[in-house]
Amino acid sequence: MADAFLESARDVLEGQIDFEGQRLAELLSTAMLATAGFLSFVVGYMTQNIQLTLWIGLIGAALTLLAVVPPWPSFNKNPIDWLPPQQGVSQLNIEVDGKKVR
Amino acid sequence: MHSTLVRAQTAFGFFTTVAFCVAALIALSGFVSPQTPSADIKLRNVQVVRGRPNYYSTKKEEYAHIKFDLDTDLSTLFTWNTKQVFLYITATYPSLKPSEPPSSAIIWDAILASPSAPWHQNQYEAPGTPDTRKSDPEAQKAIAAPGILHLQNQRPKYQITDYTGKVANRSDVVLELGWNVQPWVGALTWRGWSDWGVWKGLKGGRTERFGFPGVKERVKVQKEDLGTAKGGEGNRGKPA
Amino acid sequence: MLNLSSLQPRQLAAQILNFALVLSTAFMLWKGLSVATDSPSPIVVVLSGSMEPAFQRGDLLFLWNRGQDTQVGEVVVYNVRGKDIPIVHRVVRRFGGGTGPLRLLTKGDNNAADDTELYARGQSFLNRQEDVIGSVVGYIPFVGYVTILLSEYPWLKTVMLGLMGLTVVLQRE
Repeated sequence: MADAFLESARDVLEGQIDFEGQRLAELLSTAMLATAGFLSFVVGYMTQNIQLTLWIGLIGAALTLLAVVPPWPSFNKNPIDWLPPQQGVSQLNIEVDGKKVR
Repeated sequence: MHSTLVRAQTAFGFFTTVAFCVAALIALSGFVSPQTPSADIKLRNVQVVRGRPNYYSTKKEEYAHIKFDLDTDLSTLFTWNTKQVFLYITATYPSLKPSEPPSSAIIWDAILASPSAPWHQNQYEAPGTPDTRKSDPEAQKAIAAPGILHLQNQRPKYQITDYTGKVANRSDVVLELGWNVQPWVGALTWRGWSDWGVWKGLKGGRTERFGFPGVKERVKVQKEDLGTAKGGEGNRGKPA
Repeated sequence: MLNLSSLQPRQLAAQILNFALVLSTAFMLWKGLSVATDSPSPIVVVLSGSMEPAFQRGDLLFLWNRGQDTQVGEVVVYNVRGKDIPIVHRVVRRFGGGTGPLRLLTKGDNNAADDTELYARGQSFLNRQEDVIGSVVGYIPFVGYVTILLSEYPWLKTVMLGLMGLTVVLQRE
């Protein structure tokens, strides 16, 4: 019971995404944060308003976290086709120290 | 980037890097913004009286009470990265020992708020500024162009004395205007007399040399002549 | 799950070494900055509101302690003799200097009176060389606030430890 709960909690926290999704997430976070930083400086400097810089930066960061952190379905569009489990291996007899090993 | 935790850590880590870079850019941007400060400061009146540092002290000291006129334009000190300008006027006078450099003391100061700074009770309000800063467009305009002051016969905020307790009959006293620009982020800067890059040195901002007079008997001095101006911090009791 | 016995000795040693490396790097940076600025504590967090509105609690200040000819209007950090609390206040008077000690009187922008009352008994001025640990040259707002939070609400430390433990429990190898 407790183990099952722990397992499901782990699943939520783990939020696995596939390899293509990881590449996309990396690119997104870098691009979005850099853009937000650049924009916040330029807009703030143009309007001579440092509060604008602060808010653009913070909102940009919040959006980035929102876009990148949760395991959105679009990060899981390229699941890996693992080879099907093969039965043949278990037919072999491998003995180690006189014991059968699968 | 495979798990939620790792993604959160990576994104937050890069955010701190970006924030640091933007902060560094903001801090540097102040050095390419030209400054052309100017000031005209005149001695109005100076008196020396005897007194005690506080009401329970038995020590008698001499205090100089200096009134002055000030016309200054420091509006170029206010950039987007300026939080406030701490403006002060110092009295500088030679020390009694020839081996020591001149002594100096602040006789008056004011915290000039930038338009981006939230209201604070310690911020200076030029004489004639209405209390209703928010509703009054005239008062808002005064805040929008900060750093321009015209003070007539201004009382000091502090009566000054010396380490020795004696200030009467000193000569070669000079009043000087100084400031400390407090940024939102980055380096603090102070008044300069000479040019530095696109920052011009302060034009004017210094009185002629004058002398402190002899001690005046307290009874002969009318009370209001020795009044001092009170800053907003005066409302806040004990030191902390 | 965290299972020390399952770790190979080599892995364990690498973990410990890595941790030690992080600690010693931080220590070296701090001491290096200390040497460069000639100040025992080159970065301080503002603990009180006595310099408001210039500095708020939690702001980070960078100090410089070379060139001891401190002028009026500078903001210095000093330790009161006998106490170990750094105080950040502005210099409002200076006397002496040259061959003798430079004496300073300080005042908080947010205090009505100067600091004579704050100094040690019988002391009316700071000695620049002995009492002052640096003059403020740089400023970053707010980032030091977490240290204030941790010292003022000790239960936050427990919460942080708990969160760390939880992530360890909830992480798969």
